[in-house]
Amino acid sequence: MKSAEVQEHEQGWDFERAAMPYVDSLYNTAYRMTRNSEDAEDLVQETYLKAYKYYDKFEEGTNFKAWLFKIMKNTFINNYRKKKLTPHKIDFSEIEESYERVIQKNAPDLIRDPESEIFQDMMDADVKRALDSLPHDYKMVVLLADIEGFSYKEIAEILDCPVGTVMSRLYRGRKMLERTLLDYARKYGYIRGEAEPAKMRSRKDETKGRKKKDDAKPEEGEAVEPDDNEEEVLFAGADDEEFEFEVEDEEDEQFEIE
Amino acid sequence: MLCDDVRRVVYFFLDGSMGDRKQSEFRSHLDDCPDCETRTAAHRRLREFIRKRLSPIGAPEHLKIRLSASLHVSAE
Repeated sequence: MKSAEVQEHEQGWDFERAAMPYVDSLYNTAYRMTRNSEDAEDLVQETYLKAYKYYDKFEEGTNFKAWLFKIMKNTFINNYRKKKLTPHKIDFSEIEESYERVIQKNAPDLIRDPESEIFQDMMDADVKRALDSLPHDYKMVVLLADIEGFSYKEIAEILDCPVGTVMSRLYRGRKMLERTLLDYARKYGYIRGEAEPAKMRSRKDETKGRKKKDDAKPEEGEAVEPDDNEEEVLFAGADDEEFEFEVEDEEDEQFEIE
Repeated sequence: MLCDDVRRVVYFFLDGSMGDRKQSEFRSHLDDCPDCETRTAAHRRLREFIRKRLSPIGAPEHLKIRLSASLHVSAE
């Protein structure tokens, strides 16, 4: 029979073996969240200590990496976000419209050789600045999906929100990020100026009478989401036969909006 | 699938998350529509560019050492 001390000591090694492989990923995301190395290190350390403390609560067979990220997200919200981040107001319809023009006009250049013809002089710092310019909630989903490779469902677990919310934030976050990069590219003369407005067909009429979720008030300190109507227009048809998404393990939450 | 639909779901297509039927409808549309094909390719290249430029920053060695030490201290 092992003593309690020995068991606990062994648990420490066990936890370390399980958790340390994710330290680079956690640090990377922590750095993008806090925007400086000192706070990122503290955040990762606090995450590890909390995760260790609650290690016996972790359910075997579930995603350990996602569990660690969830603890880090909660720690960040408790410690940092309230004091450091202020909510952004986003006029998404404006972003959408000018983005459509820019992407439409420049798509042929972008696929020809985006790296050498358009973005060769764009610094890594510009790309990081573009990412940092995203409202926190949008930045998080883009980081978790596109840099860390989590699935929609895992991101929904980490962020405690429906999969549909993850998808709509991803849609907007990616679009805002691309749009910001294209703005930089235009500002520094890598690409041409404004094109003719792309034809934008509103789907508003088609969505009339569609149900709206009413508890859409943002939490305190949360980025202000674009209005429901806009969201409904964007994701119109998501619950139609015509536009059925087969997102894994989803019941009727497709594109459900917070 | 129409051009407007393709625009709305292009990121989900690139994620491969729409299910086989919709992924294949999307691809069929691209075969018939050069504009959408070009735009989709532009999105794909932009995403590759962003991913490349935001390549992960590894945790510093001193943090790893500190973490390891603090776990064993808290285990004792």
